[in-house]
Amino acid sequence: MNNPGSPVRPLGARLFEAPAIGRMAPGTGVLVYGSLLLWSAFVLFPIYWVLITSFKEPIDINLKPVYLPWIDFTPSLHAWNELFVIDYEDTLKAYFNSIIIAPLSTLLCISVGSMAAYALARIQFRPKLASILIFVVSMIVAFAAIVSFGVDWRLAVAVALAVFALLVRALGRRFRRSIGNGEILFWMISQRILPPIVVVVPVYMMFQSVRLLDTHLALILAYSVVNLPIVVWLMYDFFLSIPIDLEESAQLDGATRFVTFWEIVLPLARPGLAATTLLVMILAWNEYLLALFLSTSKAQTMPILVAAMNAGERGTLWWSMSVVIIVMIIPVVIMALVLQRFISKGILLGAVKG
Amino acid sequence: MSTQRAAPNATTGGAAQNAKRLTISGLSKSFGAVPAVRDLSLDVAPGEFLVLLGPSGCGKTTALRMIAGLEEANSGSIMIGDTDVTRMLPKYRDVAMVFQSYALYPHKTVAENIGFPLKVRGVAREARDKAVMEVAKQVHLETLLGRFPRQLSGGQRQRVALARAIIRRPAAFLMDEPLSNLDAKLRGFMRAELKHMQHALGVTTIYVTHDQIEAMTLANRVAIINQGVLQQLGTPREVYGDPANLFVAGFMGSPPMNLIEGRIEGGRFQGGGIGLKIAGPGGSRNATLGFRPEDAEVAAPGGGFFDARVYTVELTGEQTLVTVDLGGANLSIKMPKDFDADFDTQVGVRFPAGQAFLFDTETGERLRAHSVAVS
Repeated sequence: MNNPGSPVRPLGARLFEAPAIGRMAPGTGVLVYGSLLLWSAFVLFPIYWVLITSFKEPIDINLKPVYLPWIDFTPSLHAWNELFVIDYEDTLKAYFNSIIIAPLSTLLCISVGSMAAYALARIQFRPKLASILIFVVSMIVAFAAIVSFGVDWRLAVAVALAVFALLVRALGRRFRRSIGNGEILFWMISQRILPPIVVVVPVYMMFQSVRLLDTHLALILAYSVVNLPIVVWLMYDFFLSIPIDLEESAQLDGATRFVTFWEIVLPLARPGLAATTLLVMILAWNEYLLALFLSTSKAQTMPILVAAMNAGERGTLWWSMSVVIIVMIIPVVIMALVLQRFISKGILLGAVKG
Repeated sequence: MSTQRAAPNATTGGAAQNAKRLTISGLSKSFGAVPAVRDLSLDVAPGEFLVLLGPSGCGKTTALRMIAGLEEANSGSIMIGDTDVTRMLPKYRDVAMVFQSYALYPHKTVAENIGFPLKVRGVAREARDKAVMEVAKQVHLETLLGRFPRQLSGGQRQRVALARAIIRRPAAFLMDEPLSNLDAKLRGFMRAELKHMQHALGVTTIYVTHDQIEAMTLANRVAIINQGVLQQLGTPREVYGDPANLFVAGFMGSPPMNLIEGRIEGGRFQGGGIGLKIAGPGGSRNATLGFRPEDAEVAAPGGGFFDARVYTVELTGEQTLVTVDLGGANLSIKMPKDFDADFDTQVGVRFPAGQAFLFDTETGERLRAHSVAVS
């Protein structure tokens, strides 16, 4: 403490006590900025490494590590040349596939997911447990009929739905146990608990049977479904944080539920929407396992291309891999910069505070 | 429990053409096992300003939300004009609501906020802009139309909320404690504005508040509600000067009515160490005596109905508030501002016999047949 009675302060106080309000003590400054610098180096070095590797000749990579272009080694465009001039068809095809699949699946996922999240945040659902069980049982019976007795699937499903509807009408009132929004939310996130590797073969067979393997549509649908629980969970929380007064006011002003959602709720959830979009977009952009199974050549995405550089007969092509990684990062960085503008706080200011 | 009177017609003298009568009958609502509103019946005249008054949690806001259509009624009916709106969606009821929180849309400008009800009705842009400008002038917001709610002060936000309500010319205004977020000075100012505007527009208004001053000053009639039950319905003068029961007597007034618990026996009221002669039917019962602080006065010891010890003396500016201790109970007496008394001295307390009220302690009901006889 800067006590006027004792002009000589101990060293610890001089180093680690702020000289004034709003200023940083010298010792604290060294520690804070030192650790930030260290962390930045830790984070940025891999990117720098990938960048210079993309300009190295194979010999510069395989002999010994070199760090500085024009000093340690002479940069060369051979890898860029190979991927974008000689072999450009494969590279650009994967690039465009990724550029089509990731945003479209994100769009689908966000629109369905945010509406589902809004419904869960604002409407209390009380489905009867027994009705769900009856539905599951009738579907299992239909499935058994198709597999064991070769019944036409359209007939089996129609009969199963009819039986379900009849049973629910007849028995539904007898059962009391029902589930709420909490259970529905948990059921959604439980879809992500299963390791993807467990479901990837059944998913492959499903798409095979509907003849969608190696198409954009297959990957768009698969990614949308896989990322849906994340969207619902994140957006559910954002919608809950919007004061309900605003929606009630809109209702009284004459807005329908959809107009309320579109005019009032969505604009206010924009920060959450932007953050969620970015997250889902990155997940879809970088997804590897499903892409590996569902695409062979036509719908191949960038992660597959990167992985392919690792397993050729020429060994690991570090230089080509680096080039692909660089061009893969760029769209995501641009997207993050664009969406960052919306991820700002304080959008609800002035809504209900007095 | 309630003193129902027929709604006076055109109490404001300026009911607008589209002002509608609002009739509520037998309205009840409970949340789970907890009853919020019990068998509420009100008849609001076209253009009338009716205040629902009660302590927090008494069900007044629930009643208002049922009229708005934000809450479903368990039983009873709501009529606006000749239309039964009990099961109608909020947007078809033709009512506008001002929320306690104002509920302004934070991402829309003042003009967009005010124009929103017209926008969702598909009113063309030019007509909308014209209407917004007109309403903004009424509430003195015409220079702030391009601002966002976060750039406004509390009073300005309040006026935006009002403008958004009046732009539609609704059949009824519903207001849920619209002034409670403002500071005391602004609240007084906005109260006067609100009353003036409601009078000028002549729109039927139901206003919820827990503030009895707001109720007294704004209302044509006040409906006092406690625990979901209507206690008394009448003009401010009636509910203040002629309370129907103990709750109303204790709720209205600041400080509220002085209440002394005791017993009527053999034509005398005994309680708190005092005895008063009572006129009225014989018999004995537990009773509570009440009188208003402003009706009573401090006299010399032995010069009043009873003597009490001065507990504290507070000068509020316009008057002196004397609190006396009577057998452990505190009674308030309002005296002129130049009055003074020493603490702990004995003084006499007197009040006009006609200004004293007697209530049945068990049921809380006013004992209208009994009165304090001059002793």
